[in-house]
Amino acid sequence: MSGETQGKRKFSRRDFLGLATIWAAVISGFTVLAGVFRMTKANVYYEDSKKFKIGKPEEFPIGTVKQLDEKRVFIFASNDGLHAITSVCTHLGCIVAATDWGFQCPCHGSQFNSDGKVIAGPAPRPLPWLEVSRHVDGNLMVDASKEVKPGTKVKIYL
Amino acid sequence: MYQRFYTALLIVSSVALFIFTLMAGYREITPDYKSYKSEYRDLFRSKATGEFMKKKAESIDFSVQQVYLGKLNRIDRCINCHLGVENPLMEDAEVPFKMHSGNYLETHPVAEFGCTVCHYGQGRATNAEDAHGTDRETHWDWPILPLKYIDSACAQCHDQEMLAENGADRVLRGEKQFVEKGCRGCHKVNGIGGVLGKALDGIGTQPRAYFPMRYVQGDKTAYTWLKEHFDDPRSIVPESEMRIVLLKDEDADLLTTYILTIRADEMPRDYRRIRTGTQEVPGGEELYKMYCIACHTTGKYSVYDEIFKRTIPAIMNPTFLRVADDNQLRRFIEDGRANTQMTDWKEDAAGLTDDEIGRIVEFLAKSRPAKRGKLFGRSIFDGDTARGRDIYETRCALCHGEDGMGGKNRLGISLVTPVVKEADPEFLLQTVRDGREGTPMIPFGSSGINLSDQDILDVVGYVRTIKPTASPKE
Repeated sequence: MSGETQGKRKFSRRDFLGLATIWAAVISGFTVLAGVFRMTKANVYYEDSKKFKIGKPEEFPIGTVKQLDEKRVFIFASNDGLHAITSVCTHLGCIVAATDWGFQCPCHGSQFNSDGKVIAGPAPRPLPWLEVSRHVDGNLMVDASKEVKPGTKVKIYL
Repeated sequence: MYQRFYTALLIVSSVALFIFTLMAGYREITPDYKSYKSEYRDLFRSKATGEFMKKKAESIDFSVQQVYLGKLNRIDRCINCHLGVENPLMEDAEVPFKMHSGNYLETHPVAEFGCTVCHYGQGRATNAEDAHGTDRETHWDWPILPLKYIDSACAQCHDQEMLAENGADRVLRGEKQFVEKGCRGCHKVNGIGGVLGKALDGIGTQPRAYFPMRYVQGDKTAYTWLKEHFDDPRSIVPESEMRIVLLKDEDADLLTTYILTIRADEMPRDYRRIRTGTQEVPGGEELYKMYCIACHTTGKYSVYDEIFKRTIPAIMNPTFLRVADDNQLRRFIEDGRANTQMTDWKEDAAGLTDDEIGRIVEFLAKSRPAKRGKLFGRSIFDGDTARGRDIYETRCALCHGEDGMGGKNRLGISLVTPVVKEADPEFLLQTVRDGREGTPMIPFGSSGINLSDQDILDVVGYVRTIKPTASPKE
């Protein structure tokens, strides 16, 4: 009889409730934390898409240098393919101008060669090259949120 | 006993809460658009040929996508389910994966225009019900526009010429209905038009709550409301006095298309393609249609109107025009007829300019017979009103009423109005003598009832002294 009582005490109602409470607290704590971390990055932002179409390949014959003011990129088409370089200076964000030898920033005199490499001035980083891809409808797209290795060119005439 | 009950209640409710929490969590991580995306990916895979397309099919982004349109103050997320709008492989796919029809997206890229600027609906929603907003429970005021009215969206930016050239002619055909059925006879637009109906400015963007939906059969949207209301106004608004002037179902759709273009907002200038050409000046006939035809129809016959509960006079009746000269006609139009539905159309009331009224008068006068009636030769009323009263009661009261007000169930029109009081003597005297051909007003002179000229003088003299009674509309 006493054994029975002891057996019950080993895992009494009180123990069960206590354990259940602790585990419930732990699980919900982790869930809440996971939710909080999930919220630090929004699914979508209140801003223009970083990924945008720039036109059909036919619009970029070899030798083209095109500056898209609103999108803040330069598009270059050469024999090797097409590439996009940002026009935002890595120093303080002025818009650089294309020159014969590369890029010149009007604000603090930073100069970049035609690959975007810093050759003079206060700019801390080279001008990033941006990812160029093709949309299913045939248009070319630039994704300003994705940098690619300088020298990466996309063959546009498949 | 009680303790047991509450314990059971606690356990059951805890379990229920737990299940609901799990379900909420599950819904959060599996939004509707994700299942559309996986369905689309399967379809894309099956259609894709070539390495590039196959790679595209595999690289579909399952996170929520949107088109941000700062200039249009919109964010459209339709592309999370309508995944193939720009994909040429999806030309024959079913909605929602179908490619956009026509070449509209070439000139209206999704990235610049989004979807809701033409199709309406709730762009930010991420499930079909809220996005389409057709159901009233979604509380979205501008639900997705049915394709039969889609032309109306084009008119936000394009002028009439472009609409005609590029297949949005339903707007123009609707406008033709609007003009030719005389809608502006009762409804003001831009401050010009009659006063019997509601002004229509901004009706195309009016929130859904402003439309009484009680009797609407189809979707409870403004579009259906307008359409069904044009089919039969009194089935939607029982007390409506609107005249049914449409002939076919199709016309109601066209008119709805046009009405939806009368909007309270304007697209940003960058988007508009409206050439400001010189507007054509409408001629007399066009103006007659626009403002008069809804009530006066052809103008040849006077008809008892069941809705207005009074007789509407025949204003192009030759016998009327024979006695009413241009000045008289102009006065009728400018000042209207007090106590009837005929509003005063002058510029500071219903808004027609002197010039426009002139053109309407000119149009009416075309039906005037060359031969004028025999003149009475009186310039003042000097009849014996007591004698006139006797004659009125025996001869006139049956149609015009003892009170002279015309109105309900009476063939005659109201005589107790300023236009009768102030009318030219010749006009009144000749009207009584010669009657109105084609109307119930028979000649009371020698060619009909055979009253003497003196009798007519007396009765007209009496009519001019009748005072309006209290409730003129009944």
